Amino acid sequence: MRILSLQHINKKYHKADEFAVNDVSFEVEEGEILALVGESGSGKTTLLRLIAGLEHPDSGSISLLGQTIVEGVRSVPAHERQVGMVFQDYALFPHLTILENVKFGLKKAKGNPEQIALDTLKLVGLKEDFSRYPHQLSGGQQQRVALARAIAPNPKILLMDEPFSNLDALLKDQVREEIRQIIKKTGITAIFVTHDTKDALSTADRIAILHKGYLQQIDIPKNLYENPVNPYVANFFGKRNEILATPTEEGYYTSFGFIADPEAKKFRAKVVLQFRPEHGEVVQRDGQQLTGKIVKISYFGSHQMVKLADDEGKRVTIRTNPGRSFEGMERANFYLWKYDVEEAF
Amino acid sequence: MDILKRNYFWWNKWTGYSLLILLLVATPLFTIFIKLFDSPGGSWSHIANNLLLGYFQNTILLLLGVALMTFLLGVSTAWLVSNYEFPGRRYFEWLLILPLGFPGYIMAYTYVGLLDYTGPIQVFFRNNFDLQVKGSLIDIMNLPGAIFILSITLFPYVFLITRSSFLQQSKTLQEASFLLGANRFKTFFKVALPMARPAIVAGIALASMEVLNDYGTVKYFGVNTFTTGIFRAWFSMGDSSTAIYLAAILMVFVFVILYLESLQRGNRQYSSVNGIQKPIARVHPTLAKKIIYTGICSSVFLLSFLFPFLQLLQWVSLTYSKVVNQDFFLLIYRSFGLAAMSGILIVVLSIVLLYALRLSPFKWVKNITKIATLGYAIPGAVIAVGVMIPFIALDKWVYGTLFTSQVAGLFFSGTLFALVFAYIVRFMAVGYNPVEAGFQKIGIHVNEASRLLGVRSTRTLWRIDLPLIKTSLVSGILLVFVDVLKELPLTLILRPFNYQTLATKAFDMATNEMIAESANAALIIILTGIIPIIFLNRLIKKREL
Repeated sequence: MRILSLQHINKKYHKADEFAVNDVSFEVEEGEILALVGESGSGKTTLLRLIAGLEHPDSGSISLLGQTIVEGVRSVPAHERQVGMVFQDYALFPHLTILENVKFGLKKAKGNPEQIALDTLKLVGLKEDFSRYPHQLSGGQQQRVALARAIAPNPKILLMDEPFSNLDALLKDQVREEIRQIIKKTGITAIFVTHDTKDALSTADRIAILHKGYLQQIDIPKNLYENPVNPYVANFFGKRNEILATPTEEGYYTSFGFIADPEAKKFRAKVVLQFRPEHGEVVQRDGQQLTGKIVKISYFGSHQMVKLADDEGKRVTIRTNPGRSFEGMERANFYLWKYDVEEAF
Repeated sequence: MDILKRNYFWWNKWTGYSLLILLLVATPLFTIFIKLFDSPGGSWSHIANNLLLGYFQNTILLLLGVALMTFLLGVSTAWLVSNYEFPGRRYFEWLLILPLGFPGYIMAYTYVGLLDYTGPIQVFFRNNFDLQVKGSLIDIMNLPGAIFILSITLFPYVFLITRSSFLQQSKTLQEASFLLGANRFKTFFKVALPMARPAIVAGIALASMEVLNDYGTVKYFGVNTFTTGIFRAWFSMGDSSTAIYLAAILMVFVFVILYLESLQRGNRQYSSVNGIQKPIARVHPTLAKKIIYTGICSSVFLLSFLFPFLQLLQWVSLTYSKVVNQDFFLLIYRSFGLAAMSGILIVVLSIVLLYALRLSPFKWVKNITKIATLGYAIPGAVIAVGVMIPFIALDKWVYGTLFTSQVAGLFFSGTLFALVFAYIVRFMAVGYNPVEAGFQKIGIHVNEASRLLGVRSTRTLWRIDLPLIKTSLVSGILLVFVDVLKELPLTLILRPFNYQTLATKAFDMATNEMIAESANAALIIILTGIIPIIFLNRLIKKREL
């Protein structure tokens, strides 16, 4: 079932030249976790605040569970939207205890607020003394309280602003998985904002990529990685090599050598071949391979990155397994088993 | 769908309240502006021909004189206190702020008493050295005297802001200057002083506003300025249009000062780019210099606070048995009540204004809301005139329509209602700024979090925002309280007939040759004034850390 739908949302901040959000439309299905990914200034947090009712769009409409909540100058106020939100700084109420914080939104809830609050705190894995105050907790614990407070009233949708940005790298992996588990356990639909692609890839069911207020692509992680609609999306998920090539009937001529490919005859002008480091492979044998001068080898434990240069110094990076030795070698041969072709300008 | 139909995104009831408050608070200013296009009153030509030039000369000389003297006193002491280590330095940091607790008019007649034939200085010399002077030791009841009095009460503005600027200048910047071959002296003039310029000018601008606001000092010393002109037109000539004309010209002065202040600030950045910096390391000078530095700071403190304060104490000890009676306690009770009521009202209105701003989706609302705080830059006499005129008109209308009687009564004008309203217009900024700072400090997210949890804005204000900004609310009330207690010109014009506050009583007694008796009321004003000054200094120091 469709939970949330945004239609042609535009938002411009006063005096700002560019739109913060530019004609963005997307939908969210029940129970899914959607990540909004983008650099700072891409409009991702603005989108979150528009859904929450903390900002109002210049145009466009939003509906939640089939009910229109934003249209024209009309808007359902934030306190009536039943949207849960975890703020980047958690925004816990410093003058209330942990239990009081979680109970805060439960005035209208069915059942015993105290019991719901305690159950939710248990769900997020907190076992501390609940009569303590937020400042007496660690950052990670505060985040759990914030999550518990947001999901306790059983909101229609859960919004999270940069939920992992305040955690150190060691904790991050663990917390990502835990938060995903908690959300999936409650069956709640969630949208979170992040600038870190790793957060998005590991936690979200679907990812929306935003750039300068425009929605670039929204899809499952695998499709974004393998079939990016444009170079921006492609580059977002790690390094991509680009080499210039001249198409012929049989294949492509490049500065690293010839690639046989009958598809090449479809192109008239010069093209750019794009490929990720893992889409190439360094090989020993000679033959119809590409070749380059070894410039640099970086060892990463699980793999190595080999930088190869053509005669003009243009470089590409190829990923290899960690066991391969390049001792005494000046040049290396490689082939590409996957690449995208785009016309060059 | 129903909920959607009922709600516009830009509207909540706070917006309505806020607009209403802004309209009311801006009325006195608009009144002056509109009345300016009326024909001037009958006595205008008399004033224009005979007095206006004098008003101009005196006001400008007073402004320039006080600007120069507060600059010298404020910057020199600020530099010493922030750069050198010498005996008493830690105490001077706050001792030199205390003169702010002295209203100018009290300082004025205290000095007259100090230098008088029967004053302690002459008595001392007469008894010990057989020195005879006829009349007063030095005649300070003139323009230079007024400049002196206003400067020693107002220099702490410059001292405070400049000191804070010096302390923010980084150690590395000074070190860079030394490495480039400049000595401490040259560093001061080439680096520290230019960097502190915006702060110094801001301090002098504040002092200038107070000079334009002053009535007591210039009136007592017989120096005719625009403020005394407004009083003369209003009370002696009963000519409200002329009073407005003078008030309008005075407002031009205010805006020129504000404009010059903003102009010099420009959009240049005077703070260093890097966030956290090493504070200036204070230098331990030679013993001789230490003595000189302590001497300079002590003399400033003695002249601007201790001597006049001791004089007041002496007068109180002589006269309290006569003055402190039931009437006096009634006076205290009234003044404190008035000041507390104004403080609470101002803070409540500030909360409404700022909460509407907090919830508003529009950024420009912030600029409109600033209108509410304009009154602080406008002299009390001007505001009094601006409040009086619409209230008189309102009274006429009320009596004309409701009672259809011939007798014009006083329903609004000449009542405490008008006085409190004028205090609100004048001192809104004093309560508004701490509340604004409080809201800024707690941030918007806690408020948003509460509303997203289904709690309405009003309930959120009570349960989240207000408990978190309690200290700001208290300091707002306290600061307004002290300012209202000191206020003279506005109170003199708007008070109900024969109604006295501590300030008007002290002023009346002093002008009626009862200086010693007036010290009792003055002392209470000063002692109450000192409490928030120390409080304020703590706040500034905390921000530095």
